[in-house]
Amino acid sequence: MSDVTCARGVELLADYLEGVLPPELSADLEAHVLACPRCTAFVASYRETPRILREATAAELPAGLEESLQAFLRARRR
Amino acid sequence: MNVPGPQPTDEALAARAAAGDEPAFEGIVARYHARVFRLACRLTGNEGDAADVLQETFLRVYRSLGSFRGASRFGTWLYRIATNAALTHRRARSRRPAESLEAYLPRFDASGRHAATPAQLQVAARADELLDRRVLAEKARAAIERLPELYREAFVLRDLEEMPTAEVAEVLGLDPATVRQRVHRARLMLRGYLGDLVGVKS
Repeated sequence: MSDVTCARGVELLADYLEGVLPPELSADLEAHVLACPRCTAFVASYRETPRILREATAAELPAGLEESLQAFLRARRR
Repeated sequence: MNVPGPQPTDEALAARAAAGDEPAFEGIVARYHARVFRLACRLTGNEGDAADVLQETFLRVYRSLGSFRGASRFGTWLYRIATNAALTHRRARSRRPAESLEAYLPRFDASGRHAATPAQLQVAARADELLDRRVLAEKARAAIERLPELYREAFVLRDLEEMPTAEVAEVLGLDPATVRQRVHRARLMLRGYLGDLVGVKS
């Protein structure tokens, strides 16, 4: 039986997702999350957070951005 | 048929640009300006500042080409310059201290169990379905703006620019474990913030 609590699981989550946790600790965390509906829900929202913010902050390039930048830099190089 | 030759590597372009080859420098600008602009938007929170950071970045790149030694990849080196330019730009502006996002960290009971219910904990994952796109865009920028500076840079590079942790570590001059820890704290705060936007504290 895993003795990982929700709080401990949250602490380990980033390292787990990057695959840098020791295998035994990874297995303990997985066992806890599988058995814990709260952590299952938490992990789902934790994983979605970067995507939601990435999409929400995807800037459109202003028209003519490169041309004006190249012109600015050309003037400074003279 | 006109078959284009292989594209020169960044490092080859940089070497030519350092030797005074103007078209090579313009090639670097063409290759990187969009990425630098997007990064600058995310680090400064608005397009006006991002345009200034973009100019400043490529001026610094131009002036420093001679000191690029190839110890890191050219892109990593350029991202470091852009991140520093954005930081300098932010510091030069007087701004109100941002209200902390600490209140959005997850809460636990005395036994270390999540205080919120599964439904409450899940809802942040649906913030983009539940909120108007423009409202979410505005709130997302504002939230990233409110992150502590140390967390903001790591989170923007790792999660928004999707750079590998090892490269973020190189850009910021940190060890990978510190990057993971900062990105994690930022994710926790922003996850709670997204839930709160939808009206659920978790």
